[in-house]
Amino acid sequence: MTKRMWMAVISLLGLFLGLYLTLFHYGYIGSLACGVGSCERVQTSTWSVLLGIPLSLWGMGFYALMFILAIAGIQPQYADSRGLSLAMFLLSGWGVLFTAWLDYLQGWVIHGWCEYCLTSGVFVLILFVLSGVEWRQMKSLETEELTAG
Amino acid sequence: MVKTAGSVKSARKSASNRVFYLLIAVVAVGAITALTYASTRQRGGTVTSPIDTTLPKVNSQGYVMGSPGAPLEVVEFGDFECPQCGRFTTLTEPDVRAHLINTGQIRYRFIDFPLDMHRNTWNASRAAACADQQGKFWEAHDALFDNQDKWNSEATSNPDKVIKPLLEPLVPDKAKFDKCVDDKATQAKIQAHWQIAMARQVQATPTFEFGDKKVEGFVTYDQFKELVDEQLAKSGKGAPSVGGDTAKKGVVLPVKPGA
Repeated sequence: MTKRMWMAVISLLGLFLGLYLTLFHYGYIGSLACGVGSCERVQTSTWSVLLGIPLSLWGMGFYALMFILAIAGIQPQYADSRGLSLAMFLLSGWGVLFTAWLDYLQGWVIHGWCEYCLTSGVFVLILFVLSGVEWRQMKSLETEELTAG
Repeated sequence: MVKTAGSVKSARKSASNRVFYLLIAVVAVGAITALTYASTRQRGGTVTSPIDTTLPKVNSQGYVMGSPGAPLEVVEFGDFECPQCGRFTTLTEPDVRAHLINTGQIRYRFIDFPLDMHRNTWNASRAAACADQQGKFWEAHDALFDNQDKWNSEATSNPDKVIKPLLEPLVPDKAKFDKCVDDKATQAKIQAHWQIAMARQVQATPTFEFGDKKVEGFVTYDQFKELVDEQLAKSGKGAPSVGGDTAKKGVVLPVKPGA
């Protein structure tokens, strides 16, 4: 399997994770109680909503975009698209920065860790590494082609 | 038959594509199944389970509202900083007071269960207990939940500074109340409440005990009423004796405005 295929699989996992947290946010799923874990606390904190939209929904948007880009990237006509690699690298880079800010909020402001948010953070990091490696390979290929030309 | 390098490459690519699409299908089907199961298993966000009858009984802990002659006592283990407890107090409890407590169908007991994850909740519990010394627990209870966002750990690191001016207008003797809060005079009482919650294996807030049933999480009025009706329908279920460390035994409190 290619890196773009793995990115599509991870993005899909992230998309469903976001869907679970969104359903939880709106009370359709899970135990809406303050329990021994901190996930409910994080998910019901004032930081769980940005511009009136739950963070999990923003996350779903991010993963949906990554999934579309990755699926497009495995189509023969875009297989060598450097622009697509760069877009995935920049998007996942933004995701890493956003995740870092969320982790800071969990640890230092809300004082509670949500295991689902941390899992999402791992997904974003893997996407960033894969897209970074792929973009570098694309750049190397470009350099080789220029040298050969 | 000799395979060319191109055909081997093409076969590998085809196999890789098959694995990919299979993986995508497995992830999608697995996730949809898990989400469907989770959403149907815990409809309404509440978890109901039987109570272990060998656990230590609730005797005089907590704060009681309602008639001593009520046939059923409902116990809430609550945390003043818990958002779901606040949601219950704001959305469900006015109807519970109006239609079940004030009509003598149930007696209601609130027991503090301050969770470690809520940094300011002990301050709120202590202050409510200080208000109780002047017969104003339920007024303080309502004010704390109504203004949860003003004193919770996301809003302030000095909750007493917010809670004191919030509850002072409710108590007759402001100086006595302030001294009680400053001295943490009610700490032992809250610890006793916390201990009975632990002894009864309470895991989350809010937790409600309806006779032999325990419910965790937010409940709507309809769900609450259904659980009360179910218990009342069971014959020979006497409510435990009214103790409670509030002075309000048997006094039917006014319903919150807007209830």
